[in-house]
Parts: sequence; C-alpha cells; structure tokens
Amino acid sequence: MVETNIGKEGEAAARAIATMIRQSSEASQLIAESEILRRMADQHLLISQAADPAEEVGDILKKVVDGSEDLHELAAQDGSRRYYSSHFMTETYAMILLQKLGDPLRLIAETVRENSAVYPRPVPLDIFTQPPFDLTRQEVLNDLERMAAEEEYRDIVPTTTSASRVFLYSTLHLEPEYASMLAEWLDVGQFNNP
Amino acid sequence: MVKYGGWAGKVLHVDLSTGRTWTEDTAEKYKDYLGGTGIGYKVMWDEVPAGTKPYDPDNRIIFAVGPLAGTGAPCNGRTAITTLWPTCWPEPLVATGHMGGQFAAKLKYAGYDAVVIQGRADRPVWLSIVDQQVEVQDARRLWGEGIRRATAAISQVMGPEAVVAAIGQAGENLVPMSVVMNSVSHSAGGIGSVMGSKNLKAIGVGGTGSVRIAGNKDEWEKLIKYHLSLLGANNQHVVPSSPQPWAEFYNESTRWKGSKGRAWGAAPRPIDTGTCEPHNLNRIAYRTNNAAFYMGDIAWQYTVRGNGCAGCPIRCHTMIKVPSVAAKYGIPEVGQNTCGGLNFGRSFFKKFPDGPRGMTNMEACMVGMHLADDLGIWCNYGQLQRDFKKLYYEGFIKNKLGEKEFKSYSWDKYEKGDPSFLFELFPRIASQEGELGTALGLGTGYLLQRWSIPEESWGKDKELSYWKMGHPKHHSTEDAGQCGLLINLQYNRDAQCHSHVNFIRNGLPLSVQKGLATEIWGSPQAVDAVGAYTPMHPSKAKMAKWSLLRKELHDSLSLCNWMGPWVASPLKERGYRGDDSIESMLYRLATGDKKDRQELDQVAERIFVLHRALMIRDMGTKEVRTKHDTIPEWVFTDKSGKAPFTKGTTRMDRNDVKVAMDMFYDEMGWDRGTGAPTLQAYRKVGLDKVAEELGKRKLLP
Repeated sequence: MVETNIGKEGEAAARAIATMIRQSSEASQLIAESEILRRMADQHLLISQAADPAEEVGDILKKVVDGSEDLHELAAQDGSRRYYSSHFMTETYAMILLQKLGDPLRLIAETVRENSAVYPRPVPLDIFTQPPFDLTRQEVLNDLERMAAEEEYRDIVPTTTSASRVFLYSTLHLEPEYASMLAEWLDVGQFNNP
Repeated sequence: MVKYGGWAGKVLHVDLSTGRTWTEDTAEKYKDYLGGTGIGYKVMWDEVPAGTKPYDPDNRIIFAVGPLAGTGAPCNGRTAITTLWPTCWPEPLVATGHMGGQFAAKLKYAGYDAVVIQGRADRPVWLSIVDQQVEVQDARRLWGEGIRRATAAISQVMGPEAVVAAIGQAGENLVPMSVVMNSVSHSAGGIGSVMGSKNLKAIGVGGTGSVRIAGNKDEWEKLIKYHLSLLGANNQHVVPSSPQPWAEFYNESTRWKGSKGRAWGAAPRPIDTGTCEPHNLNRIAYRTNNAAFYMGDIAWQYTVRGNGCAGCPIRCHTMIKVPSVAAKYGIPEVGQNTCGGLNFGRSFFKKFPDGPRGMTNMEACMVGMHLADDLGIWCNYGQLQRDFKKLYYEGFIKNKLGEKEFKSYSWDKYEKGDPSFLFELFPRIASQEGELGTALGLGTGYLLQRWSIPEESWGKDKELSYWKMGHPKHHSTEDAGQCGLLINLQYNRDAQCHSHVNFIRNGLPLSVQKGLATEIWGSPQAVDAVGAYTPMHPSKAKMAKWSLLRKELHDSLSLCNWMGPWVASPLKERGYRGDDSIESMLYRLATGDKKDRQELDQVAERIFVLHRALMIRDMGTKEVRTKHDTIPEWVFTDKSGKAPFTKGTTRMDRNDVKVAMDMFYDEMGWDRGTGAPTLQAYRKVGLDKVAEELGKRKLLP
C-alpha cells in the first residue's frame, strides 16, 4: 500500500507510478524517471495545475518509494534515476541492469570484483556474452584491452584454464595462484568429479 | 505390517537353485533397518557367511527399497542393491549399488519391499514378479542379447507398464565391471556379473497395488508441497547458473541451467526454460539440463527434455536427440543419461578435433551411452576411462598386449578423438575378448594385479583419482577437505555419498554456507572455501558423520542422496535454509511410526555401523584403521609443492589427517586405535547380537 500525503489526484498518480515500476520489474527491466514522466503525460495522469511536471513526478516518486517497502531508487552513472520493485527483481539483478546502462568497463569490473569477494570465485569471460549482460565476445575483449590500460581497473586480470577458457578475477580479493586453481576447478575439475 | 503405512509389507525370497520362492514379513525382521541398504546389510549379515565369494550360489543379491518408494515424496526412485562386490580388491567385501528409474516404485506396487535372490539357476532365467505371482522364466533366447533387446522382449511379455531390470552381455560373461539397468538409463554398477553368475538375465516387475500413507492425507499433501519448495536443481544446487531477476545470487558452476532464452531445442516445439522462479513448483523440471552442464551450450539445441525417476521433479537424465549419429555410427539418434552415463564415451579420450565441448564430444557421449547401456558395462565412477588413458599414454597397453592384438585396435582413431574407436573397445570388454578387454573388465585392483602394476603407483597420481581397494574417490578432499577424506575411508567401493558435496557445491556464497553450517554442525569452521582449507575442527567430523548417516538414511528410505539432503534451499525468505527434518517428517507421515529426526538418525547409524561390522567380520580383522581406512599418497602432495593449508591447494597434512580420523572415530564412538566400533557403540544402536558375534571372533576392540 502506497501511503502519501499528496492529495487525491496525487494518490492516483502515486498508484499509477507504483504500478509502472512493478510492471517494469516483472518484465525484468528498470524504469527511468523520464520514462515514468512520459507515460504519466501520455496517460493524462499529471496534476493539471502543476507548473513543472518533472518536479511534480519527482516529488511523487520520492514519496512513493519512501512509502513502499518493495520500491527502490538507483542512481545511474550519469546522475539519472532508475526504479525497480524487489517483489520482482533483486538488488543484484537491478545493479547489473543499472551498470549495463553505463560504462561496460565498470559493469565488467564490478561484476568480477563482487564474484571474487563474495563467493569467492573467478568468473568466465563468456558470462558477459550471456543475458542479462548481453555483450558480444569482441566487445568484451575490446573492453578488457581498455581496462588493462586504465589504473582503476588494474585489479581485473585474466587466468586461462587447461581447457583454454579465460576467467577473470580481482586481485583485490583473490591471490593469483588461488584464482588460477579455482578457475581450473570450475572449468575442468568439477566436471571430472561429477 | 498393516499397522504401518509406507512399507509394502513383504520381502520376497527367491532361490534360483531350487526355484523356490517365499516371503517374510518386513516389519517382523527388517523394520529396524528401514529398507534399502538397511535390509541389504541385514540379509548379508544373517545369511551370507564370511568367506563367501561374489559368484558363489550362496551369495545373495538384494534389491531393496524403502518406505518412501512409490509414495508422492519427491526424489523417491532409488533402489539399493547389496551384494559381495566383485571389483573390491584384494578381496570382495559387501557393497551397494543404486539405481533410479521406475523399479523401486513398481516393486512396492507389486507388494514387496525387497527381493532377495540366492542360488544359481541351471539355465538362463528371468524373474517375473506380478503382484503375488512370482515365476522363474526361461531366458535362454534372451541370453546373449543386450539390455535394450532383453528389456523390450520382456516388456512384450509383461506389458508396457512393467519395469525391467536387466543385464547385458558384460554381466552374462561375468565381467566384474558390469551393471544392471532399468527404465532405459538407470543403472547400478558392479552388480551385473553377480546376476550373471546366478544365470539371472533380468527381473521384470508388474504391480497393481499402491502404497498406503498412514498419516492425514491433507498433511501429507502439505508436506510434499513444503519439500518441493526446498528443492533446487540437480545435486540440490540452489542457485541459478546465470543472473535471474528473482535471484540474489548466481553461480556459473551450478546445474541450475534453465534461464529465459535457453530452450529445449529438439523438443517437438522448442520450449523456453524460463526464469525458473523457485516458488513456481510446476517448473522445477526446467531448472536442470545435465547435457548443457557437461557438454556446454551446444547441447541446448539437441535437448528434447529432462527425464528421470519416479516421483522426482528434477529430471536429471537429460534426453538429447542428435540426428547425425544415426547415419554416422548406426546408433539411435535419441539418448538419455546423467553424469557418469552421459560422460561414459567422451571420457575415454584426451582430446577431440573440435575441442572439449564441440560436436565430436557430443557424438562420443551418444556412442558411449548407447554401447555401454546396452552391453551393460560399468565405468566405476569414471575409473575405467581414467585407467584406460593412463594405460595407453604411458605405454602399459603396448607392453602388455601381443603385437597382433595391439595392432587390432585403431590407435590413430583413438588419439584423434574419433568416437568410432569405442566400437572396437566396448564389445571386447563385454565379452572378455583379448588381454585388454579382459583386463579392463576386471576393475582397477584386479587389473593392476594381473599386469603386475603396484597399486601404490596408482595412488600417487592425483589425476587418476584412485583411492583404494580397486575404486576411486567420490567427492573427497577436492570438494570438502577433511570431511570429504573421512567419508571416502568408509566403504568398500567409491563412497557414493553426496550429502556433503551437495552442500559445498550448492552455489551459495561462502558466508551464507558458513551461517548454515553453524546451525547444522555447530560451527562455521565445518566448511571451507574449496582449495582454502583450514586445520581439522570437531565440526568437520560432525559434518562427516552427518553426511554418512544421511546417505544411509536416504539409501534405506529410497530417497535420492544425489538430490538431498535438503538443508539449504533456494528461498531467500528462509535465509536459504532448508530443513534437516524433512526425512523424518516424511517417514512419520508415510509409515505412522513416530520417530523424530534424532531417532531416525539413530536408525541410520545402526545401518552404517552394521556395514562396518560386516566389513570387519569379512576381513577377519578389527584393525580397520590401518587395513581398511587407507589414504592414497596423492592426498598429501601438490604438484606445485604448495604446503597444506595454503590457498590454492587441496593437499592435506598427514598429522592433521590423523587428528581428523581420531575426531571422527570419537564422534562415532569407535576405538581410535583400531577404527572399530566398540561394544558400547554397537549397543548404542541396538546391535548387541552383532557385537556378541564379533566378540566371539575376537573382532571387538
């Protein structure tokens, strides 16, 4: 239930916004503030006397998110805002979608760092060619080449298994020999020990 | 037995020497052993004296199921088959094999909890069981046929609803490395030749009965739904392999392969597996694709669907359709299997012309599956293939075979990774043809003995995964450090225990696993990250004991230990907890016997200790710590020279392993010096008479 202090017209708009966010999340997508504004206008849901529709929607959005346990706001790299409902999407997935909107180098780096820190494990390079990352192999290779030249991504390094598969890990969280051993285990060892 | 639900109520005995059949009341003699391996060990203790050999008519082969077989409990399709193990080296000891499929349920519907077979028929026979009607049928015209034709022929006699467990030519020819198989692809290794020695080609079962649930039906239905809600994918992997909108975690190495955009491409119409949201219990079967897990993404386009056992929504036997193999190799274009069976053919080769996950790899899987599953050859958990590669590439085969025999194989095909090579090798194993075929069919221990290769040399090679007594490790130090090691000490064949590994590989982050481990085994130190092991801790011994008891419990209830236990789940709202009491909840409602988790664990311990007692009795020594619970040298080595407990090695420390064994024996109440259960340990689990018998033989510590 959305609880706001924004009047009857505002409540209708708030309900509509919450529905938009949830429906987008159900379709495995984030929704941008600008998209919400556009749909509100299309559906004539803006309060007629509002001087600045964007400000009006922004205010309602803030109240909707603050008042709903499942609705969350994320700030993209360019400062724009995206929204999702945790009824249909986890923060993990939402963050991948958010990073995908920005710099692919950051997407790769943050994914690798998280995997190295949390599980811990290196990740195969080809995971970035699969949904929801959806990069091409060539894009990934180009991105890695660029990352190698940038200081902030120096911790992201590859290791190749005996089956010639490339894995990536972060030296901030995994030692090189340990990462190599884990990659070999994930790519070869576990299949020989079913 | 009317008092109890779950059990069918009768154990069927068949003496093939005389043709006599009779039944016993399950409750009277076997209720305290549940079923499955429990009945198997009990029969072996009571009826098969020490010194009996696997192919002696006095040896028994026991097909036993448990009170949950044939119910609606998830994953209830396992039949445990117990006998003296022909590949156990240097002397055969008791062991069990396990097959899924439909046999377990059908046996219950026919009215039996077990079939105990003794004697030897004077001609090839098959056993027909249709409810109360049990007949020994002439199998002379089936002798020499593969499993597929034998199954089809018997099914024509019994009808399409019957389930047939048959042996192939390997079993008939007394090849120790042979299987019995039911329902197309569900086999138990090591059994085939024991059936062959009894001239028993197959058992066909038709049953029109049902299994009575003792408890309230609504509660039962609710419990089944609850159990289903805790299920992951195959091997109870609870985390999807790729990011999903609903998932907090993802782990590329799990068997939860289903995802939107990944479709069963060879289904009549491609079926998208979808996001597999875990609360949707009607889509559990879309999570697992073992063909894709092992063969890579190429397998999706050839996947027809998942297949599997009675009562199991996991469907781990992935069915694949590869049209090109029909013309190229003359084999059916559709095949199905899981793990060892799926990998049977490809594992013989070091490489393929188009890489490890290309089309040739898939063809090798198809050829291997069809040949091995028809001839009835066993892989000994992949040891056959690992042995073969080492024997060839290190020159043993060339040295041991005569020139004529050596040249009769197309080694150029083998080295290139041509699957057609398997047509030269497999039939010769199944028929004990030539030196190579004969030696490979013996199993590792007897092969090494025949070729005068010291067993120690096999135990030094980590890549071989050889453990002891002719058998490999099965999820040991590579998965679970000291816990895995302790589990691999216990049995007379590979350990076949998945309780520990299904937790270790469930896909959850280490911090979550440690949280769950604290609740289950008392300390986060029970589990380590793979290859980052820490010194022995009492909680690791607790985890080892728990793992072994859960294995025996599953094997006796007819739950699948390849799928359970269910102590982790895919459910975030539960903190990824499963339920350690699910087995006892199912047992209570199904049977009406009000045992709680601890009481049922006590029964599992009785079964496990009885196995230990059988081993001690048949080995004729109580010194099992040094003579049975042995460890191969590779466990204590690292090719890079890394020290134990450094990151990146699975190398164990000798002194730490001694501590581990002490802690485990303490946990079991066994004697540290000998590794044998004490009188008190036997009494604690109600095996007073077993202890008395061992005492008379001076086999108590």
